[in-house]
Amino acid sequence: MEDAEMGDGSPKHFDRKQAVYQNLDERYVIHGERYRGQQYSQIYFTRLHHMRNLLNSLVPKWKPHLPVHTILGLEEGKECIIIGTMYKHMKLKSSILDEYSKERSTVPLVKPHNFMHPDDHLILEDESGRVKLAGTFLAPSVYVTGIVVALHGKETSDGDFFVQDVLEAGLPPQIEQPLDLREDKHVVFISGLSVGSSMFNPLQFQLLVDHITGHLGDENEQSIASQIVRVVIAGNSVQISQGILSGQTLAPKDQSRLTEPIKEFDISLIQLAAAMPVDIMPGPSDPANFSLPQQPLHRCLFPGASVYNTFLSCTNPHQFELDDVLFLGTSGQNIDDLSKYSDAKDKLEFMERTLKWRHLAPTAPNTLGCYPYTDKDPFLIESCPHVYFVGNQDKYETRLLQGPEKQLLRLICIPRFCETGVAVVAY
Amino acid sequence: MASAGGIRGFYREKKKGGVTKPSPKPYSTADPACSPVLKSAHVQGQEKEAEERLREFDMDMRYGPCLGLTRTERWNRAAVMGLNPSPDVEAILLKCSSSAALECLWEGRV
Repeated sequence: MEDAEMGDGSPKHFDRKQAVYQNLDERYVIHGERYRGQQYSQIYFTRLHHMRNLLNSLVPKWKPHLPVHTILGLEEGKECIIIGTMYKHMKLKSSILDEYSKERSTVPLVKPHNFMHPDDHLILEDESGRVKLAGTFLAPSVYVTGIVVALHGKETSDGDFFVQDVLEAGLPPQIEQPLDLREDKHVVFISGLSVGSSMFNPLQFQLLVDHITGHLGDENEQSIASQIVRVVIAGNSVQISQGILSGQTLAPKDQSRLTEPIKEFDISLIQLAAAMPVDIMPGPSDPANFSLPQQPLHRCLFPGASVYNTFLSCTNPHQFELDDVLFLGTSGQNIDDLSKYSDAKDKLEFMERTLKWRHLAPTAPNTLGCYPYTDKDPFLIESCPHVYFVGNQDKYETRLLQGPEKQLLRLICIPRFCETGVAVVAY
Repeated sequence: MASAGGIRGFYREKKKGGVTKPSPKPYSTADPACSPVLKSAHVQGQEKEAEERLREFDMDMRYGPCLGLTRTERWNRAAVMGLNPSPDVEAILLKCSSSAALECLWEGRV
């Protein structure tokens, strides 16, 4: 793709670099799935089944001398290993039954952002039964409902399971990427544009678009811009004010307020799509479905940009390969939910934990909306990505993570553009 | 019949003396879903056996919860997952005539 310099003097021609792209969103697309009124027990079953097979293969290397039991097969005082799904009993977690059990006046009006409480305790569950976990080895503040682990311990006299050690699945294997140092290629991540909200600054966004497409700056800037091979917009691109979304019929003047943010965004997208490949992911505030995996935003929303073949509407979570480098990321719902129900020193630690548990969104379907799959759990991470990104976070953070089997990956937290004006460029 | 004892235990009737009659299959008297269709006793016996076998398959915890899936779907899923579901259940499902037998035990009742 060409990107000619606009200016006087001897025009220098920069060709935009290209990279081989492969979209791996197939597992997140819901097509052909018939909803027959099934409940979420099926997805938990498939999750437990796959993770249990995995953990069963890892247990012999961890503690080969101990037997693996089902929870009903526990014998008192005997040391063994159990594998199951973890459930965290939280006192402050809001339940729909609270509306019926408590008086309305005693329900606190301010909902806490984090539902943790010192009295939270963990329970392990498999098909045969559940057992409460005792002991101080496992800190409830670290774990959430929905992860599958193997525990070493023994049953106590009051029926609890005293935990002595824990085995998580660990980072998945990574396909080694051949280090190609010939060319420098960049990927730009933007998130949280919130076109249509009061915090959106059109000038700032236009500046970004101009810079990325190469219409700004001198030769140095443009040579940097020509190395950008892809733009990934990770969610929350538009924000439609809540007042109009109440479900009542709209007056004609209000109808234009509904579509204005998307039209404005489409205009900027045309500029971007004309210059380079763009991937757009839906986020919590975008006009897409609520439950994960969010399906791609429909083409009719972007009449201008969808004409270009460089424009690609993707699912959330989004997985793709660029020159054999595996990228995996979400628009933030999974990490935000983790931060409501557990504790960590920063968001990157949450991301690391999801990789160690090999599950993108362990709290789905418990507290995060999720499609009730019957035969698969698409959020299981099978191969370790080289770049793992999360959008709509408070600030920009990044870390290089090294795994025990020579996995190397970069974790990126993409901040909200409307608040910080920061876009992330990854090499 | 070599059964795991799950379903038969629900419907077992105990009588304190009194008139003894030859005890029929335990669920046949208590089962509300039995439709009074005129068939020969032999065919009826076979059908009940097949139905019992399918209910055992439904209740088997190894293949996961049975709600929300047809029995065929659940059997196929178990086969794909490598759980080795028994082939005679598949045989019954393939040649069963009534559509009610294809749905799991709790379909429509829960």
